[in-house]
Amino acid sequence: MNTNFKALIALAILNEVLGSGLEDENPALFQTQDAGKNWGAAGSSESASAGVEGSTNYKSLVKIIGFPFRLFMRYIRGSYKNDPFRTFLELCLVVFFVWYVSRQKYKMNQNDIKLTEKEIDELVQEWKPEPLVPGLSKTERLILDSIPVIDGQNGVEVRLKNGDMVDNFSNYDYLGFMSNNEKAREKAVKTLRNYGVGACGPPGFYGTLDVHMELEKKVAEFMGAEAAIIYSQGMATGLSVIPCFSKRDGVIVADSGVNFVLQQGIQLSRSKVFWYKHNDMEDLENVLTTTNKYISKIKGPTPKKFIVTEGLFTDTGSIVNLPKILELKKKYKYRLILDDSAGIGALGARGAGVLDYYYGEKEGNGKDGVAEATKEVEILLGSLWQAFGGSGGFCCAAKELIGHQRLSGLGYVFSASMPAIMAVTASDAISRLAERDGDGRLALRKLNENISYMRQLLEEINNNNNKSINGYASEEKRLRNKDSNVSSISSVSTNNDNFTDRDSGIIEIEGDDNSPIIHVHLTPNCMRQAVQKLGGNGGINSTQQFWTRQDEELVMMQLASEIQTTYKVLVCSSLYVVEREKEPAPEPSLRIIVSAGHSKHQIIKCVEAIENSINKLINNY
Amino acid sequence: MFAHIRDRFGKIFYPEEYTSLKEVDGYAPLITDFESLWNRRLYTRISDAFNRPITGVAGGSVALLERESKDYNRTFRLTGGKKTVLNLASYNYLGFAQSEGYCADTVEDSLRTNGIGMSMPRNQGGQTKKQIEVEKMVARYLGVDDAVVVSMGYATNSTVIPLLTSKGTLIISDELNHSSLVSGARMSGATIAVFKHGDTKDLEAVLRRRISQGQPRTHRPWRNILVVVEGLYSMEGEFCDLVEIVRLKKQYKFNIYLDEAHSIGAIGKTGRGVCEYFGVDFKDVDILMGTFTKSFGAVGGYIAGRKDIIEHMRLSCYSNMYTECMPYPVLAQVESSLQLMMDEVPDWVGDGPARIRQLAENSEYFFHRLIELGFLVLGSPGSPVVPLLLFNPGKIPAFSRMILERNIAVVVVSYPATPIIAARVRFCISASHSREDLDYALEQIDEVGDLLNLKLAKK
Ligand SMILES: Cc1ncc(COP(=O)(O)O)c(C=O)c1O
Repeated sequence: MNTNFKALIALAILNEVLGSGLEDENPALFQTQDAGKNWGAAGSSESASAGVEGSTNYKSLVKIIGFPFRLFMRYIRGSYKNDPFRTFLELCLVVFFVWYVSRQKYKMNQNDIKLTEKEIDELVQEWKPEPLVPGLSKTERLILDSIPVIDGQNGVEVRLKNGDMVDNFSNYDYLGFMSNNEKAREKAVKTLRNYGVGACGPPGFYGTLDVHMELEKKVAEFMGAEAAIIYSQGMATGLSVIPCFSKRDGVIVADSGVNFVLQQGIQLSRSKVFWYKHNDMEDLENVLTTTNKYISKIKGPTPKKFIVTEGLFTDTGSIVNLPKILELKKKYKYRLILDDSAGIGALGARGAGVLDYYYGEKEGNGKDGVAEATKEVEILLGSLWQAFGGSGGFCCAAKELIGHQRLSGLGYVFSASMPAIMAVTASDAISRLAERDGDGRLALRKLNENISYMRQLLEEINNNNNKSINGYASEEKRLRNKDSNVSSISSVSTNNDNFTDRDSGIIEIEGDDNSPIIHVHLTPNCMRQAVQKLGGNGGINSTQQFWTRQDEELVMMQLASEIQTTYKVLVCSSLYVVEREKEPAPEPSLRIIVSAGHSKHQIIKCVEAIENSINKLINNY
Repeated sequence: MFAHIRDRFGKIFYPEEYTSLKEVDGYAPLITDFESLWNRRLYTRISDAFNRPITGVAGGSVALLERESKDYNRTFRLTGGKKTVLNLASYNYLGFAQSEGYCADTVEDSLRTNGIGMSMPRNQGGQTKKQIEVEKMVARYLGVDDAVVVSMGYATNSTVIPLLTSKGTLIISDELNHSSLVSGARMSGATIAVFKHGDTKDLEAVLRRRISQGQPRTHRPWRNILVVVEGLYSMEGEFCDLVEIVRLKKQYKFNIYLDEAHSIGAIGKTGRGVCEYFGVDFKDVDILMGTFTKSFGAVGGYIAGRKDIIEHMRLSCYSNMYTECMPYPVLAQVESSLQLMMDEVPDWVGDGPARIRQLAENSEYFFHRLIELGFLVLGSPGSPVVPLLLFNPGKIPAFSRMILERNIAVVVVSYPATPIIAARVRFCISASHSREDLDYALEQIDEVGDLLNLKLAKK
């Protein structure tokens, strides 16, 4: 098929070059003079590249169709008369191409061991492949089976498959827009009746709807950016944008706490990457200096240099020290890729994320510096599926950079555009936030109250239970890290400030005080007891002194399902594809996501559920 | 290439136009000149043929928003006008891109009872009963153990392939595989080998060499081998030679990953894709992947196959873990279109099969008529994607504009989706085209073809 196709190309090239000569397939009619003209001043670029691309096929082509070789010669002679230099150039290109191709072939098989056909056959016979995927382990199966199944609509309360109504604390719907959203639904129905569901094509090929363009405009306005582009899935955003700008020769300095999507984007870009300690600005500065040293040693042009970080970290709930980063990035001449997927819609006076949190309107001053700050961030990523209830994500940047993505952002070019329904939903959610007197502002205030309340109650758990644990020091956790190859080094411990007292009480509360995402871990003492208790229930070897990450995952899963079945609260144990996460993977935790839609009562219920479930687990009553 | 040379000169002669590409104040240029070469030199000139915005449903015909440019395509402005044209561009093979009918009604019901999105990753609370139902249905449709749905087709490939592989896995990929498959292979960290497009002889040669040589340097045997192919190549309109690949599989014991993005629903007697078309047992293909973006008129993708593989995917697929799950309206669209295709809706008996038949007829007719007219057409007869070769990138805008003047929307493709000199125009046939639509289109293409000297195969 392939040679056939190449022959076709060559055929067409000949056609281009020779004008209509080929079609008649009659050399007698062919006028040398004409051919000469065809080569003439315009010297269309395709004829030249044709020489390169098609050269090897020329011969085969000549053989295939038995087309008189003389024609070719005559044509060369003809063109030679008019433009000898061009013919010469052409010839050079052909020679170069032939050389290039043959050189590659020579190189390719250099390392091979010479084998006879028979030996190859035997080797093929002997070869026994392993199965593609290992079967699920017992723990994995337990985890898979324990993933809750929702029946019906999303909101602060959801119905599970078994009919239970549960309070939902695992939803990124910070503003509570997804509950009782009659208006949004009516709008969605209207959109459906106008646009159908899928757009049936990538944005480049008639998949760009007017609603997409409106959404892009709205996003850019909301973030104060020059332009924006939307991607149809959250994960595809990070995966496309980073490799789009940072290539093999790029240098990336990244926070070691960034979420998996960014990690994969960085990996896909194949850039040289340096990690700095999670949200540790001193370490960042150190890394930047060493990186700059490293770069100065590289020959050739200055590479593109990026700092990659999240705004609100999904996996830890901490907030980036943005002013410091902006300062450092300028000092060391880096560009910033900031992914604020989790923060947008939650942080700041008008919900524009971490930029708003630092530079937005502060009480009284009435000055909104988000737009200015956004200009400092070369590439800003956000999501539309989280707070805005649509799907996909966006990237805000300068106009040229957005234009570049429209051609080179893989997830944009090679994938279908977002369904109109989702675009309209996201767009409306943004409007609700953007308008000064919209209900979005109210929701934001409520969200902040709820977050503080939740944190306060969670901290009280430790006060209540300080004595219920008899004290082993947190030695054990460290031992676990040293001795177990399955488990990971405690990444949370690098971030001590964010924790409540580690050695007393039963839980550790991670993250910034303003973060709606709260990761709750068990203290090492508590975890030890839990692991031992569960060991009695089967699955875990109770005599073992140290526990593995899997044990911790099981404990968290057990807690989550207890909270869900007994107390009718939906909190998820955070799951990760551990073996693919950058070492160390985030510690297992309960991920609580606070929403403006939660009532005080629900928050109390949630915290009680957590407290009681933990106590039940470790004390077995 | 010539554009590149021109660029070199340009940098010397018109420095002011090139500031964004130069090193400024210690910052390396964000976009290197080579990357953006295509963009600046050629794309801007022809960009009016791409990214044309539309409104409404991309059905048999589609409403384009008219736009104009006063600065040679650097920027566009919408004029506010609309133009309804015949749509030979969208992947709406079975005509399910509709705002009325059974599917739309089902979606509306679903919107009213279940709302819109979930705002949760699937494994973090976003798993819905509907998803599981749809998965069962997909599995039943394909006659395999199990299936898992993912919220985006591109991400299905790029986030599933890494999970199927590990160090010591060899991925053998067709050279023309879709970008999503390439991304997935790259993210996996496995060794990647490439075979010539559609050439099973070359595949066999690669297999023999790679299996006998083992892993690079260590020469240890491979853990396993995954051959990644597409059912229907959307830029070529060609089927993969599945029969031969399955034969090779039995001999060389590799696993097959078949991407049926374009073929599912559109090919085969009952729309079950290339396996059905070639009479290959579905179970012989280890991983069946497909997207709902095309024939189903929805978005997203699925992976179907053996239970052990699918369970693994369901638990650890990156998209299930870290990003949004499939929203309700999309699930409803998939469910309802699948029901129609399996002919299980009492009120709409025969609707789905009729679409499949109509599509087959349309594609066959269109393909043969183009050949009769003397165009150089790529691909296999019966494919709903019919690419017609233009070769010269210069003809891209000419063709696209002329045919648009005649009220037909087509897709013209060239770099980066195809080699620069193999530019082509691609017609996507749909079941919602009537014979008159096609005849009209053929007539117009005929005229344009004469004007642009495209009938290269004419005897
Ligand atoms: C072979 C192949 N795989 C995957 C995809 C991506 O699918 P989606 O558009 O649903 O992201 C496409 C789309 O063009 C495709 O052609």
